[in-house]
Amino acid sequence: MTDARPRLADVGYDTVVIGAGLAGLTAALRLAEAGQRVAILAKGVGATHLAPPTIDVLGYANGPVDSPAQALPEFAAANPEHPYRQLSIELVRASLDWFKARLGDHGYRGGLDENFFVPTALGVAKPTALLPETMAAGDLREGGRFVFVGLRGLKDFFPAYLADNVAQTPLPGRASVTTRVVELAPPLGEARDVSSAGFARRFEQPAFRESVLTELRRNLVPGEIVGFPAVLGIGGAREVWRELETRLGHPVFEVPTLPPSVPGIRVYDTMTSALRRQGARLVIGSTVAGAETGNGRLEGVVAHTAGRPLTYRARSFVLATGGFASAGLELDSSGTVREPVFDLPVAGLPGQNAPLFEPGYFDEHALSRAGVAVDESRRPVDDEGAPVYENLHAAGATLAGAVPWREASGNGLSLASGYAAASAILEVIS
Amino acid sequence: MPTLETEVLVVGGGSTGAGVARDAAMRGFATILVERGDLATGTTGRFHGLLHSGGRYAVKDPVAARECVVENPILRRTAADCIEDTGGLFVSTRWDDPGFGDDFLRGCQATGIPVEEVPVAEVLRREPRLDQGITRAFAVPDANLDPWKLVSACTRSATEYGARILPYHRVLGLEVSDDKVVGARVHNEVAGDELEIRAELVINAAGAWAGQIANLAGCVVTVLPGKGIMIAMNHRLVNTVINRCKPPSDGDIIVPIRTVSVIGTTDVRVADPDELEVTPGEIDEMLDEGEKLVPGFREARALRVWAGARPLYTPDDVTDTRDVSRTHTVLDHAKRDGVEGFITITGGKTTTFRLMAEHAVDTACEKLGVNRRCRTHEEPLPGSEEERFYWLGARVRAQEPVPNSEEIICECELITRRQLTEAIARGRPAGLDDVRRRVRLAMGPCQGGFCIYRATGILHEFEHLDHQAANSALLDFLQERWKGVQPILHGDQLRQARLDDWIFQGLLAVEHLPE
Ligand SMILES: Cc1cc2nc3c(=O)[nH]c(=O)nc-3n(C[C@H](O)[C@H](O)[C@H](O)COP(=O)(O)OP(=O)(O)OC[C@H]3O[C@@H](n4cnc5c(N)ncnc54)[C@H](O)[C@@H]3O)c2cc1C
Ligand SMILES: Cc1cc2nc3c(=O)[nH]c(=O)nc-3n(C[C@H](O)[C@H](O)[C@H](O)COP(=O)(O)OP(=O)(O)OC[C@H]3O[C@@H](n4cnc5c(N)ncnc54)[C@H](O)[C@@H]3O)c2cc1C
Repeated sequence: MTDARPRLADVGYDTVVIGAGLAGLTAALRLAEAGQRVAILAKGVGATHLAPPTIDVLGYANGPVDSPAQALPEFAAANPEHPYRQLSIELVRASLDWFKARLGDHGYRGGLDENFFVPTALGVAKPTALLPETMAAGDLREGGRFVFVGLRGLKDFFPAYLADNVAQTPLPGRASVTTRVVELAPPLGEARDVSSAGFARRFEQPAFRESVLTELRRNLVPGEIVGFPAVLGIGGAREVWRELETRLGHPVFEVPTLPPSVPGIRVYDTMTSALRRQGARLVIGSTVAGAETGNGRLEGVVAHTAGRPLTYRARSFVLATGGFASAGLELDSSGTVREPVFDLPVAGLPGQNAPLFEPGYFDEHALSRAGVAVDESRRPVDDEGAPVYENLHAAGATLAGAVPWREASGNGLSLASGYAAASAILEVIS
Repeated sequence: MPTLETEVLVVGGGSTGAGVARDAAMRGFATILVERGDLATGTTGRFHGLLHSGGRYAVKDPVAARECVVENPILRRTAADCIEDTGGLFVSTRWDDPGFGDDFLRGCQATGIPVEEVPVAEVLRREPRLDQGITRAFAVPDANLDPWKLVSACTRSATEYGARILPYHRVLGLEVSDDKVVGARVHNEVAGDELEIRAELVINAAGAWAGQIANLAGCVVTVLPGKGIMIAMNHRLVNTVINRCKPPSDGDIIVPIRTVSVIGTTDVRVADPDELEVTPGEIDEMLDEGEKLVPGFREARALRVWAGARPLYTPDDVTDTRDVSRTHTVLDHAKRDGVEGFITITGGKTTTFRLMAEHAVDTACEKLGVNRRCRTHEEPLPGSEEERFYWLGARVRAQEPVPNSEEIICECELITRRQLTEAIARGRPAGLDDVRRRVRLAMGPCQGGFCIYRATGILHEFEHLDHQAANSALLDFLQERWKGVQPILHGDQLRQARLDDWIFQGLLAVEHLPE
């Protein structure tokens, strides 16, 4: 018979982070930069591979938000349980600056004072605080003449539909937008149906770019701004984008497509290489289920990879397992919400027997704000507000109180709360 | 008001109306069919999907059972493309009276249902997910039946025989002159205008709405809508139709349909067939019953829940709708109410739709004074000429000859761009919800997270929609889908729904589409 008791991982860590989405990656990288021995345990990659690379801090609060810095105080006051209530503006600002510096290669632009308004794949002008330089020319606020490029075989991008909606976008002042579409049929070989990642690989080949450039150049009129689906390469995106801009002689920008998110993968790649450079350990494909505790502290977590379970010991832990979308939270058929790793208390739920969902899709649903509540040190708390474990911190979409998909606040909250969790851990130590 | 003239006007585009229109057209009548929505959006598109062997009625309703015995092989021959021959089993579980098995056998033998007792061990080998505690099992020729394909094949055939099929045409009133129905006033729901259709005979095939239509001619027909709910679970948990071997009750049948399994159903008398609410209690009951047949049923992902209204014609006042016979009734309103030129065909089930149509058109012949033979039991429907059953691999195989030759728009159900545009063209104007039904778009595990965006883009392009029309198609669809998934959201299905929220509300910002 084999021994089913968990083995002990070879070394002890300063911090173990559970989850490799933006929240977990941010916390881990900050801690590793501060000299900590860090391990990240994650079931799989996080929403980076699905979501746009923009950092949306606050896009909608009773309508589109022009300036997150101006809107946040009132927003936090109106939503007392919201995570932004506990994250100061200074901290959010610091997390944005930190992120811009870490992703230097991506040329992130923007900040907390003004939102950009960039088209979604449906053509909605969506507010966001930070964006990579490959998306910057898509800012619609000043208006302009936009051309959207369709690529035959990419079924997740419908430029004509997008362009129709962009043309209707209400703009401030006298700015006006006109749109049109150019459909290209670049050579795809045998394949008719290519994913966004497949196109990204092709864009990294000079011959493919050449054919796109040749076909597109004769279709452009001076002064036009050219929007591509966000498939302009993965590792070499910056060069691809620069080459298109210089050789076309037009500003070029990317529009995020449906998952998988090519520009999101770029963010993940940059952050995980930085982590590796800092000596952090990244274990993707390991599910954390179970903990070892003692004296109100978390001693270790049990990870299930292939083979035998493994216990990881550390002085601090960060829970960044995401929300319902990544199974960081779960609802069972009897209507009970659970946090599956530590069985932490779940806040933000309606009373017993109250419905969790409303009949209208866009209604406010009671379940939306469910999650883990934390104290000032970002530690999950029980009903009385006392920390469950002295050394467990939480960040990202696991937190209670937000409806980030409607507020356009997802990545902003993950970044700021991941950053804050690291700060809390570093404070205790110093 | 524009006017059309015809011999036979059929009201209702479910399986009954489509069958009647085909039969009437095949017998040489000039025929028009009107349906207030898209075809098969009434009960037919919301049924359980079972081609009955008759087993369900073997003990309690031998008349209905015998009709199934006759019609089942006819449909296997003439509508093969709409059928997947899964076979069916009646199993006695630990919760069922073991003595019922003998009644069941006797009932099958008396009504002529081909039945065979199968050793439990063999059944468990065939269906390993079934509860290990079953005590008896009987094999019968149940199968599954695709209602959209069926209705679409019938109307296509009807059109080939010269009929006109008018979806999105709602009957507002019937013209009665000298105690004779002479036509109908119809509203074109899309164009927004009205027209008059003059007919020698109106056949009311409005299912659970038949009472409302009969009323328009001053006739009182009591059709009790009997609400039934069904839940589609991710995966084919079973490959055979599984029935509980006990007197018919709630949640006792699981039908495997393509990549999912559907459990049903209930029977609750409701006031209005357009108001079918699904309660959490009903869902819970369904899942509990599923658990008895397939342990771990609750753990599977519930994909969608929906309800349909049985058209149960009741001569007198009956309180339990399950006591009403599942056979059908043809009412000649001349004999019954002194109103000429008007027939109602109601009750029955989709399995016997052909027979219902035959009886209705026989009555029509009698009233119009002609003698023309029915041929629908002989002539296969379009697409079924080769009598080959649909099978699960059919879609995969249809793709195979030229790999990658076509864009696949829905990965869950393997729907290509061409199938989608064909479905759009099949009945204009098409909303996304119509397209969904026609090709089963967004009915797989991801619930449209990806394909709905794609389908909207294609609809916009193919139909030259402006942004407003495309946007409202998308928003309507999201609301419709929500209605289907909301009552059963938990576990992995909630996870998928949240991902879809992130895609539509987060990534795409649908809520902020321009006016
Ligand atoms: C389709 C989509 C579109 C989005 N669009 C936007 C947008 O437009 N703007 C925006 O700002 N945000 C957007 N987001 C949200 C955003 O990208 C993140 O989802 C959000 O910020 C949450 O990040 P997170 O790090 O908390 O969790 P996630 O990114 O969800 O990561 C959770 C991590 O935890 C791991 N995990 C879960 N359970 C366990 C376990 N038991 N053991 C080990 N590991 C576990 C997962 O494998 C994963 O690595 C989108 C998200 C999605 C899915
Ligand atoms: C829950 C449930 C499960 C079932 N399961 C099975 C099964 O597994 N096997 C089986 O064989 N049978 C089953 N049945 C029975 C079967 O579904 C029905 O008997 C059959 O679909 C009825 O078809 P129909 O054409 O008569 O009615 P419908 O399909 O309802 O068609 C009537 C049509 O009339 C239209 N209409 C209404 N008012 C107007 C108007 N004013 N103008 C124009 N059109 C109008 C409606 O929109 C509707 O489309 C089930 C029924 C239910 C409720």
